[in-house]
Amino acid sequence: MKKFYASALLMGAALLVSSPAQAIDSTGCGLGSMAWRGQSGIGPQVLAVTTNGTFGTQTFGITFGTSGCDPNGRVSGGTGRMALAFLQNNMEQFALDAASGNGETIVTLAGILNVDSEELGAKAKQNFAVLFASDNADAVDVTLKLLELAKA
Amino acid sequence: MRFYLLFIFFLLPFSAYAEDFSQSPAWLKLVHYQGHSGKYTSSIDSESFFLSPQGKTNPGAELQATISLLEAGKDKEKICLFPARYKLLKKQGLVSAEYPKCGELEQFYEDLRPQGVTLLFTDAYMNNPSSLFGHTLVRIDTARKGTQLLAHGMNYGAFTAGQENSVLFAVYGLTGGYYGGFTVKPYYDIINTYNNIENRDIWELNLDFTPEELDFFVAHLWEIGHTQTRYYFFTKNCSYMLMEMFDAVRPELDLAQKFPVQAIPLDTVKAVYRTPGLVKNVNYRPSRQRKIEHRRNHMNKEQNQALLDMVKKNDWRISYLEEGEKPDALETAYQFVQYQYVAGKLDLENYRRQSFNALRARQKIFEKTKIGDEFEGKSPLLSHEAMRATIGAGYRNGKGFQELSYRPAYHSLTDNNYGLLKGAEINFLNTTLRHYDEGNKWVLQRLDLVGIKSLAPVDELFKPFSYTIWGGLERVFNPQTQQEGYVAGLKVGGGGVYAFSDNLWGFAHINNYAGYGGFMPRNGYLGIGGEAGVFAEVKDWRLLASVEKVYATSRMMDNLRYKAETTYSLSTNNAVALEYSYQQNHGKNLEESILSWRWYF
Repeated sequence: MKKFYASALLMGAALLVSSPAQAIDSTGCGLGSMAWRGQSGIGPQVLAVTTNGTFGTQTFGITFGTSGCDPNGRVSGGTGRMALAFLQNNMEQFALDAASGNGETIVTLAGILNVDSEELGAKAKQNFAVLFASDNADAVDVTLKLLELAKA
Repeated sequence: MRFYLLFIFFLLPFSAYAEDFSQSPAWLKLVHYQGHSGKYTSSIDSESFFLSPQGKTNPGAELQATISLLEAGKDKEKICLFPARYKLLKKQGLVSAEYPKCGELEQFYEDLRPQGVTLLFTDAYMNNPSSLFGHTLVRIDTARKGTQLLAHGMNYGAFTAGQENSVLFAVYGLTGGYYGGFTVKPYYDIINTYNNIENRDIWELNLDFTPEELDFFVAHLWEIGHTQTRYYFFTKNCSYMLMEMFDAVRPELDLAQKFPVQAIPLDTVKAVYRTPGLVKNVNYRPSRQRKIEHRRNHMNKEQNQALLDMVKKNDWRISYLEEGEKPDALETAYQFVQYQYVAGKLDLENYRRQSFNALRARQKIFEKTKIGDEFEGKSPLLSHEAMRATIGAGYRNGKGFQELSYRPAYHSLTDNNYGLLKGAEINFLNTTLRHYDEGNKWVLQRLDLVGIKSLAPVDELFKPFSYTIWGGLERVFNPQTQQEGYVAGLKVGGGGVYAFSDNLWGFAHINNYAGYGGFMPRNGYLGIGGEAGVFAEVKDWRLLASVEKVYATSRMMDNLRYKAETTYSLSTNNAVALEYSYQQNHGKNLEESILSWRWYF
C-alpha cells in the first residue's frame, strides 16, 4: 500500500508538471474564446464555478466546462495526461459508468489506456469504492487509481 | 539550376494556365470568393489570409502571390499557414517546390488523428436569443482508439466578449460588429456543453468524404482557423461559413450560394442532407433531460415512484423495487441530480451526497439497465420548411376579406412540430396583407417583427418558465368608433404550463401590453392581461385556444378575448388552418374567422 502511494505521488507530480497549469481562462480554450452560443442562463454559473478551481484539485462535481483543456483546446499528450484531462471533464459520467460497469466513458478510457473495455468496466465496478473513496474524490486521485487498476 | 528556374519564373508573365485556374471553382472556393467574374470578394476579412495586397478582390493576383510564396520557399512561417492551397496547387502542377516541415501543423494532425468529418446540429435553446434557431458545428472524427468522445469539435462563432445579454449584442450581431472565427474543443466538451448543460439534442451527420477530401478539409480548417471574419447573425453566421468550408473541399457542391440572404442552421443541415452522396449516416445524441424523460416514460409506476422518493424525499432505500428494476431508476435519479446541480438548484454538498447515494446503490447491482438511454429521436431533417406562405379568406363582423401572408422563418405553435422543439414558437418578419370586399384595396394587416413563445410543461421534476414575446405592427379595429388604424405594439408575458397528457397541455399566462398608434385616444395604451388556454395535438391535428381578460388604459383595448386556432397537416409542408376570435369590448363585439392554406417551402 505504501508503495502504491509513493508511486502515485510520483506519477501525480509528473502528470502535473506535464500538464498546462495555465490553460484555464474564463473564456475557454481554443483559437479564440468561446463564441456565440448558449452562454447565458445556467452555462456561465457553471463556468464561473469551474474557473475558480485550480488545476489538479478538480473534485467531483465541478468539472463541467472548459477546465483541463490543452492550451490549444485539443486532446493531446501521453496516456496519463489524456486520461486526466478526460476524467476532469467527464467525472460525473465516469462515476456512473464505473458504478454500472460499462458505458461510453469506460470504452473511451480503455482506448486511451489501450486495455480491454469490458475488463476495465468490470474492474472499475468491483473497485468502485477504491476509485471513489469519498464523495469529494478529485480527478488526479481517480486517474492515478484507475491507471493502477488498468495495469493490475 | 533551381535559382535559375525561379528567376525565369519570376520574369515570365503569369502563365495562361494559371490565369485560367485562378477563375476555377476550386481556387475561388478555397479562398472563399463570392460574386461573379470580374467582381469577386472573399468572405474572409483577416488581412493575413491574403498574400497579395489585392487578394481580397482579385483571385488572379492572389494565386500569383501564392505560387510565388510557395515556390520561393523562404517564408516558412507563412507557407505553414496555407497547407490546403499548397495541396491544391501541387495537384494542379502549378507548384513544384516541397512543402516544409511545419511543427505546429503536424501537431494539429497528430492531436486530431482525422478519420472523418461529421456535421453537428444542436436543436433550439429557448433560454438564449442567439440559439433559438439551433446551431451547427463540425466534428473531425478521430482514429484514436476508444470513442468519438476524443474527436474534436470545430465551432465557428462570434467573439462576443461576454456581451450576450446586452442590447449591444443584438445590434453588433445584426450589423457585423463582432468578428467570427473557429474554436477547437474536444468532443466530450461539446457534449457537456450542449447535451448536459444546455439540455439540447445533438444530431450527427457523418459526411462521405474520401481520405483525400478529409485531408484537404483539415488542411483548410487550419488555414481558416487563423483568420477572422465579420459575423452577421442571420447571414454570415456559423452555418453559412460551414457551407463555404464544404464547398472548398468539393467545389461542385455549391452549397453557400443556396443561402444568399439568410442561413438558418437547420436549413443548411437539410441542404447537406439532401445533397446526393454527401451524408452516409445520421446519428442521434439526446440531451440529458431528454434521456431522463425517455426513461420516465418507459419505467413502470413503482420505478417512477422510486425516482421521486430518491430525488424529492431523499429516500434512497427503494426496497420495494425488484432487483432488475433498480438500475434504470437509480441511473435516472443520478442524472436528475446532475441536472439539478447544473441548473443551480442543488448545493455542492447535497449534490455530492445524493450522487454518491445513487452510485453506491447502483454499484451493488449487477444487472444492466433494461431501458437505457439509447433511442430514436424525431429527426429535424424531416421537419417542415422554414418559409411559409399563407392564403386565406374570412369574415370580420360579417364583412368578407382575403388575406395573404409570408413568413421567412421559422415555426408557429400550430405548425407541424415533428422534429422541432414542441411548444417553441419563433416567428420573424411574418407579414400579412388583407383585402376587404367592401373597400377594395389591399392593406398591411399585420407585421410580426419578432414573435417568440416557449411553452414547456411543469411536472414533479422539471419546472421550466414559459414565456411569450411579441413585437410588431398591427392594424387594430376600434369597436367603439368602427375605425381602423395602425398600432405598434409590444407584448411580454409568462407563466406556467401543465401537461394533462402528452397530447393536451393547459397554460396560464400573465401578459403585459404596450402600444403606440396615432389614431388612438392619447396615442397609445398600456395593458395587462390574464390568459388561460389549451394546446392540443393529436397526430396531424392541432388546437390552440385561449381566453384572456385584458385591462388597458385605453377603452378600446380593454376587452375579453376568445381565440381558437386549429390546423390539420395534409403533408409535411401543407396544412389547412381555421382561426376564430371573438372580443367583447364595452358592449361592442368583434368577431372574426379565417380559413387558410399554409404552404411551407
